[in-house]
Amino acid sequence: MADLDSDSRQLLAPEADREVLPGPMNIQFESSDLRPNRPFHVEPTNIVSVSGVLQRVSDHASAMNKRIHYYSRLAAPADQALVAPDHVVPAPEERYVYSPLGSAYKLQSCPEGSGKNTSLVTIFMIWNTMMGTSILSIPWGIKQAGFTTGVCVILLMGLLTLYCCYRVLRSRATIPSVDTTAWEFPDVCRHYFGAFGQWSSLLFSLVSLVGAMIVYWVLMSNFLFNTGKFVFNFIHHINDTDAALSTNDSNPVTCPSAGSGHPDNGSAIFANATGLQQFERWWDKSRTVPFYLVGLLLPLLNFKSPSFFSKFNVLEMRARFPQLTGVLTLAFFIHNCVITLLKNNKNQENNVRDLAVAYLLVTLTYLYIGVLVFASFPSPPLPKDCIEQNFLDNFPSTDVLSFVARIFLLFQMVTVYPLLGYLARVQLLGHVFGDPYPSIFHVLVLNLIIVGAGVSMACLYPNIGGIIRYSGAACGLAFVFVYPSLTYILSLRQEDRLTWPSLLFHALLIVLGLANLVAQFFM
Amino acid sequence: MEESDSEKKMEKENLGLRPFSAVVLNMLFCISVLICISLIPISKAIGSWKFCLMVYICRWALPNTALKKKVLLMGKSGSGKTSMRSIIFANYIARDTRRLGATILDRLHSLQINSSLSTYSLVDSVGNTRTFDVEHSHVRFLGNLVLNLWDCGGQDTFMENYFTSQRDNIFRNVEVLIYVFDVESRELEKDMHYYQSCLEAILQNSPDAKIFCLVHKMDLVQEDQRDLIFKEREEDLRRLSRPLECSCFRTSIWDETLYKAWSSIVYQLIPNVQQLEMNLRNFAEIIEADEVLLFERATFLVISHYQCKEQRDAHRFEKISNIIKQFKLSCSKLAASFQSMEVRNSNFAAFIDIFTSNTYVMVVMSDPSIPSAATLINIRNARKHFEKLE
Repeated sequence: MADLDSDSRQLLAPEADREVLPGPMNIQFESSDLRPNRPFHVEPTNIVSVSGVLQRVSDHASAMNKRIHYYSRLAAPADQALVAPDHVVPAPEERYVYSPLGSAYKLQSCPEGSGKNTSLVTIFMIWNTMMGTSILSIPWGIKQAGFTTGVCVILLMGLLTLYCCYRVLRSRATIPSVDTTAWEFPDVCRHYFGAFGQWSSLLFSLVSLVGAMIVYWVLMSNFLFNTGKFVFNFIHHINDTDAALSTNDSNPVTCPSAGSGHPDNGSAIFANATGLQQFERWWDKSRTVPFYLVGLLLPLLNFKSPSFFSKFNVLEMRARFPQLTGVLTLAFFIHNCVITLLKNNKNQENNVRDLAVAYLLVTLTYLYIGVLVFASFPSPPLPKDCIEQNFLDNFPSTDVLSFVARIFLLFQMVTVYPLLGYLARVQLLGHVFGDPYPSIFHVLVLNLIIVGAGVSMACLYPNIGGIIRYSGAACGLAFVFVYPSLTYILSLRQEDRLTWPSLLFHALLIVLGLANLVAQFFM
Repeated sequence: MEESDSEKKMEKENLGLRPFSAVVLNMLFCISVLICISLIPISKAIGSWKFCLMVYICRWALPNTALKKKVLLMGKSGSGKTSMRSIIFANYIARDTRRLGATILDRLHSLQINSSLSTYSLVDSVGNTRTFDVEHSHVRFLGNLVLNLWDCGGQDTFMENYFTSQRDNIFRNVEVLIYVFDVESRELEKDMHYYQSCLEAILQNSPDAKIFCLVHKMDLVQEDQRDLIFKEREEDLRRLSRPLECSCFRTSIWDETLYKAWSSIVYQLIPNVQQLEMNLRNFAEIIEADEVLLFERATFLVISHYQCKEQRDAHRFEKISNIIKQFKLSCSKLAASFQSMEVRNSNFAAFIDIFTSNTYVMVVMSDPSIPSAATLINIRNARKHFEKLE
């Protein structure tokens, strides 16, 4: 382990040839890595700069490196006794990383939150997080708004929410006095609005989470119902699509709400009549299936840690707040986790660009699905009004493709549901009681409340479009329209840069958000 | 979260089981606690009796150290002695011996000699801590010198007890007194006062002891002021130490100054160092080495060295010392002890080997054509010669 710094010029040249000379140095480390491991513990022999001129590490620096290396062996890792104090360790610009082969690289100045994801990965993550079950309601939403209006509204909302997302992203930079590296948007709200801001942002994010969970429950019971029906019909060779209004096709599309629903004694039964009756009594979309789900999911909700589920849901785990509800407000909602998602972007200066690209992709996806389903809906035999809030409902339970889609979505939802429950629990109990898991009773009560809400909605008001738009408008009001605009106005005022146009524009945004919420109740 | 939860669950389970024997033990335990607690007012009245008892128990449990020559490392508590000792002697830092609680149990606990640590601690009724070296902790230093570490000057009541009752024992047979001053200390008067009482004790019990004063934690002082402050302190200390002579060093663990200070101390402790240096020079010239170093065995402090040409790196001694001590720590994890090392490449060959009973030698040859065996034979023969010198 002797040093090679005497007379190593000769020595190093052949070694340097063997080692692949690197291109522009692009080594980045998590800023959290720098603290316990500084300086880096590889033997230094020389410094390689980008220009290729060989330099020597100074004796003082290499002595310091040895010293720190040695002292770190003397104390337990948790002990602060022999950790190098700040005035002794060189400044970040003067630190080098030494590779085992002997050359050293200058650290690129790492801004806070430098991550390892390329732009493509980041864009995909944002896209994946934003796409939620609200996509199922987009065709219905276009129907409600009319075709051209619907398309225009989608584009406009996309732009609007993109701007507000940009505001959220820039909100941390407006707080110079505090270290905001670990902050999320709710923390920024707390900074500006005090305890009211903290509690209101907690409330609104809970609204979105619980709304998401309710929608999930409704959808899950729907999918479970349809799956069970498909399996039963498949086994017993029942074909009851004639009961509902449908097209005369090999792949029929139905209009379930126009028909007479599920008659208790079906009109076209070819198999055991009492068997079907029994089945339909025990397997009803709004009366029994939601309760069956309780047995499956309530225990899962009571787990302390969601890591078990993340194995099934590797992509979903990255989202702190999977926002699903709200037809468009929540369809484009990502505002309370955009900071975290973009933190891991490798090139931080491309954050805005990546965000814009992701929004563009999401808008295109929504447009594609919405327009496709809407335009291809067989209009002559069926009125467009038939488009269900969950467009999968427009396919009968015998349709194989929709069956597969439902199975897949059901599985995904079952694994995401406990994650959502965990998030809601951590947020609520963490803020109210200080401890995310105060006792099994608290957790059980909370889970029962949430599950109860889901079950009651599934029984009484299983219109996911409605649930989505109410909860979406409510929490969108806070996080999409009001908070970003308000924090921007406040920060401008603190810096005395507030101008009338920007004040008017952002006030208009706030009014729009309010109008969005109010309109949900009246239209 | 999961771990604490399962721990909590386990605790709950354990509390649930209460067999009869556990209850009886509990009762006995409570009774003994009551008895001990009732002793406190009595012992306070007697004063140093309890401390004497503690020290007596510990000394009885340890081999008799009265005849060995001591190196006393003293200073205010928190001045950096333990870190210093740990760095110089490559010991793991014993950190468990801080102020424990106020219960008698903690005090009983702290009387235990923890053989896995190299020290043990006594905590008295006020909560003051004394750290002692365990004799068989391999800190043999330059022959039969034993390092004793004493906190002093931090706690007044203890100090009085301490010095008056144990003074003679502590300060007898002292070869070296190393007193550590914290440069940032706000109580200069008090520090000097304690230093002077130590000097008095030395004068009485070991008047031939060498005194070294280390002004420690110099890295906390601004660079341009370091010399000034050190000069001031040095003058004060010299003045206060009369008639004894003291050598002052300024040190910091984040500097090469600590290593240099201790190397100078060790250098002054070697009886015939001049002769050693001459012989080393001859040895180096005979075997045509670039540089020959003599290290003290336990600490790898450089005792003397000879170089035949100018070496570029002034920090090389400390670096080698740190590297080898670190290697020794790794070896000790495998219950192996470091004996020798040879490093060779196309430009040089370096040999580190045991030399005499207290020293290691390092030989650096820049002519790689000389086979290792030749150098090793030379070292072996020289060993016999040097052993006669000691």
